Amino acid sequence: MKCVIEGNGVKVFGKAVHALSRIGNEIWLDPQEKGLAVRTVNSSQSAYACFCFTPLFFQQYIPDPDIQNGCEAVKCMLNMKCVLPLFRCASWKERRVDRCEISVNIPNSRVIFQFHCRHGITKTYNLGYQECEALQAVFPAHLCPNVLMAQSKLLGDIVVHFPVSQEEVTLSISSFKVTLKTFCEEENNCIKGMNTELMLHPDEFDYFQVGEDSAVTFCLKELRGLLSFAEPYGLPVNCQFGVAGQPVSFTVKDMTLEAHVVLSTLTDPNHESPSQPAPGDDCPVNVTNTSTAEITTCESPMETEVCVADGEHVASSQGSEVFNPDLHMRKMIQLHAPGEILPKLSLIPESALTTPVTPATSKIRSLLFGAVYSDGGKDKTADLPSLACASDTEDDGGTEE
Amino acid sequence: MPLSTQSQADNDQYILIASLDNARNLSNILKAISFREHAIFNATQNGLKVTVEDSKCLQANAFIQAEIFQEYIIKEDAVGFQVNLTVLLDCLTIFGGSTVPGVCTALRMCYSGYGYPLTLFLEEGGVVTVCRIKTQEPEEPIDFDFCSTNVTNKVILQSESLKEAFSELDMTSEVLQITMSPSHPYFRLSTFGNSGNAHYDYPKDSDMMELFQCTKIQTNRYKMSLLKPSTKALALSCKVSVRTDSRGFLSLQYLVRNDDGQICFVEYYCCPDEEVEEE
Repeated sequence: MKCVIEGNGVKVFGKAVHALSRIGNEIWLDPQEKGLAVRTVNSSQSAYACFCFTPLFFQQYIPDPDIQNGCEAVKCMLNMKCVLPLFRCASWKERRVDRCEISVNIPNSRVIFQFHCRHGITKTYNLGYQECEALQAVFPAHLCPNVLMAQSKLLGDIVVHFPVSQEEVTLSISSFKVTLKTFCEEENNCIKGMNTELMLHPDEFDYFQVGEDSAVTFCLKELRGLLSFAEPYGLPVNCQFGVAGQPVSFTVKDMTLEAHVVLSTLTDPNHESPSQPAPGDDCPVNVTNTSTAEITTCESPMETEVCVADGEHVASSQGSEVFNPDLHMRKMIQLHAPGEILPKLSLIPESALTTPVTPATSKIRSLLFGAVYSDGGKDKTADLPSLACASDTEDDGGTEE
Repeated sequence: MPLSTQSQADNDQYILIASLDNARNLSNILKAISFREHAIFNATQNGLKVTVEDSKCLQANAFIQAEIFQEYIIKEDAVGFQVNLTVLLDCLTIFGGSTVPGVCTALRMCYSGYGYPLTLFLEEGGVVTVCRIKTQEPEEPIDFDFCSTNVTNKVILQSESLKEAFSELDMTSEVLQITMSPSHPYFRLSTFGNSGNAHYDYPKDSDMMELFQCTKIQTNRYKMSLLKPSTKALALSCKVSVRTDSRGFLSLQYLVRNDDGQICFVEYYCCPDEEVEEE
């Protein structure tokens, strides 16, 4: 494999590597006909990210074997710690890099990153790699009943309200609103530190489709990388999810690249009917081991894994057990009872794709400040969901971390 | 100025008096060679030479010419002593080393001779401090026997380009390999770390390359731990000359401009780590 990235593209590639580094410790390079896929997965295999750069992104892209020069279309796994320093952000501000060439040298088992910089200086890095099978998550996007599309700036503005240390958040959707709030493991623990809840009107989104009211809980930290990548380029982010337990996927697309982050979500064994509105304190999500006893590969509280394509096993470098894709596919399918496979489409007319979302129209209201939630033109007025029942009964409801 | 109101009698006892309106012109350059505790001072009519050595393999010298000082009096041909450099630097920056323009520490450095302490009079904003630092018998600095006639390869680079390379060097590599050649790769810095190899190539026609005189291809390795301190001197400098001789010994000479724009020099000598086959 050999590819050449020109000028600004090197900066984009570097930012992609930075975004991936926030999820996993290894980076997989997979040269395909349709483009170069750069992927990572986290150690508990509950988060997966993939940046696919189309041939348009490169000045030159040769995925095919180049026998004469010993280059082949091999899949390589590299240590993130070795690749990340090569794309240090400081250099980009000074624009010292004119060109970057990435090639694979089979005989020496090296991936070669060569940077052609200003003043004729060349920096060449020969990194050792491990040959491996491609890492790929199969995410059945067409099975997702809920789809949201928003500008990355909007999402950036939303997540900035959550402390950087905040691990998990719950995204809830119903036909009249979308809520993002801090996830509390136990109802009583909700008073600890600061809890944030934001409600958004469907109008906020460029595209809003709710097929099935649900609340999914996932790790916010792992999404931040993608958002920091997308925001400077003003790219919209597509979010697809189903009910609790199904993975949630975030996608950013452009002519030259496509980025996916797929995160597993907590299952909610107490949540029987997926059509309840605004699940929150009404149905606390309890992390138990009983409902998903079959899954033995998971080490984290996240109880559903990302589905791995049949026949390809993800070998975690941490030595954790290999995925059994069949098991997970079965579980995925179990969550969809026959007859429920077709999502109940309830498109809000105002949220057509052409609705422009400008900062001026952004109407994020933070319940923490007790702002009044007013909703124009809807019959149902939402009950202000209580952030935490305890905040009414205890004094330190507003404790900040 | 309080420092100049010392009596003539006081001045008679000193065999070396060196004064600076801005002590930073001395302290900054000494910081560039302060990787060990002890420094050998050797003062002559020409100026001050300060030497620091490490494990008989590395030597750093700072040269501050007599012209840099506002007052420079030496009553003998050569005056030598050894002091604790860390203590000296602490004294020179005793007023906190503020970088507010117009505010600087004035220095008067005096030495009475063998057995006497090095006396520093420092003044800032009307406040005077007197420091007396014990001196020791000066050790003889190693003579690396590096002479210009033996130099096989020499390049002069603008420090800017090397600064970036040195800041990115793979520290997991035990050695820094320097290749100099009349043909490609011309001037190359290489590291061999845990993740793999890295090479920094500077072509001879780069606009960062001020001088390129390479007669034959030479590849030498130097311990990274020995060369790492030279980064301080590199950071201060605007130009650096890299020379290797027939034995593979390395000489790095840094051109440093002080606060007042005057030129001082710092040089590093380093022994090669191992013999590499020369083509």
